[in-house]
Amino acid sequence: MLQLLRSVPRAVGSAVAGLRAAAPSQPFRQLLQPAFRPCARPFGLLSVRTGSVQLPGLLQPRGPCACGCGCGRLHTEGDKAFVDFLSDEIKEEKKIQKYKSLPKMSGGWDLEVNGTEAKLVRKIAGEKITVTFNINNSIPPPYDGEEEPSQGQKVEEQEPELTSTPNFVVEVIKDGSKKALVLDCHYPEDEVGQEEEDQSDIFSIKEVSFQPTEESDWKDTNYTLNTDSLDWALYDHLMDFLADRGVDNTFADELVELSTALEHREYITFLEDLKGFVKSQ
Amino acid sequence: MSLVLRDLQRAVPLRRAPLRGRLQALRSVLGVRRFDLGVVCVDNERMRRVNRRYRRKDVPTDVLAFPFHENLKAGEIPQPEFPDDYNLGDIFLGVEYIFQQCKEDEDYYDILTVTATHGLCHLLGFTHSTEAEWQKMYQKEKQVLEELSRRVGTRLQPLSRGLF
Repeated sequence: MLQLLRSVPRAVGSAVAGLRAAAPSQPFRQLLQPAFRPCARPFGLLSVRTGSVQLPGLLQPRGPCACGCGCGRLHTEGDKAFVDFLSDEIKEEKKIQKYKSLPKMSGGWDLEVNGTEAKLVRKIAGEKITVTFNINNSIPPPYDGEEEPSQGQKVEEQEPELTSTPNFVVEVIKDGSKKALVLDCHYPEDEVGQEEEDQSDIFSIKEVSFQPTEESDWKDTNYTLNTDSLDWALYDHLMDFLADRGVDNTFADELVELSTALEHREYITFLEDLKGFVKSQ
Repeated sequence: MSLVLRDLQRAVPLRRAPLRGRLQALRSVLGVRRFDLGVVCVDNERMRRVNRRYRRKDVPTDVLAFPFHENLKAGEIPQPEFPDDYNLGDIFLGVEYIFQQCKEDEDYYDILTVTATHGLCHLLGFTHSTEAEWQKMYQKEKQVLEELSRRVGTRLQPLSRGLF
């Protein structure tokens, strides 16, 4: 039996572990022990890093620098598989990336991006209009419909495209004024891929308040108008007010494109950073 | 009760406040302000989908009406037993279609008003499948628009003019 096991390649190690657990034996442990590779770090430091717990051979990390890079950091088989997975994922995401550069908004908006936060600024006739949004947590969950796919249609083809529909805040400041009219706007909370004949406005105003322009902190003590129970006529006037300043349905649709492109770009960057971190070379 | 106005399109820059004003005046003239009403403004593509789905016609149109109370006699005002039934239904306004049909000397919001009147009459049981039905509907639209013109100061002609 021993002679047979010695000739078995490492790939069947997990099957052998089952046998070993039932009847542990010295020769088995030697076969499965990861091969020792020389490392730049002194052994004393290594023992402090890895601790004194003896893990079963299969679960034991291959040890620092087991991949042979010589950096001394922890590189497990899981890390290697993770890095390989991320490489493929990054490749695929770049393949489906709709916009290599961020799409432009019509209407003369200047774009400033700071990480996940974007600001669109426009000046018109003595007013400054700023629209701010953050792409974090801006992708609604995909619709998990109960309908069966139609005949001949693959399940993959039914997956809706992920779009980013962030809440956005519109600030309107008239020249010389010390207060800004601030409108918190949301996209409808319908899940992506849901019923096409949904009848929600493209975007809606949720809250309105005045905030001082000179202070960066939000003043809770300033009255905030909630539109949930607002007179409809007043609401329509607020929507027309925004439309006159370029924040209309066209703007809202284009903002989704911009946000989606930005989110995708940040996601790919994150994957690349993650790959670099896990690889840690 | 509420007039719920939704603008689902970007083809035409729509002013919501003046449209609401006209629609509220219409509801007042028709005597149906105590009923909920939904008005959904859509572009040609969505109107075509709705028309195809509900009338098997794969083309956009100017207005589609979805009455809450079916089988009303022409002009009958519903007498609901329950508060939730104070609802006339929904009108889909093909604002892009109407914009494209609008002549140069016509006011767009006047045409929207006339079209909405036609839709509201459908919600109240009026139809135009036969000449007799059309006559009734035409007379009702004419009466409503004349009253509206007195209040708003415009001269509006019924949409069903020329249908027969």
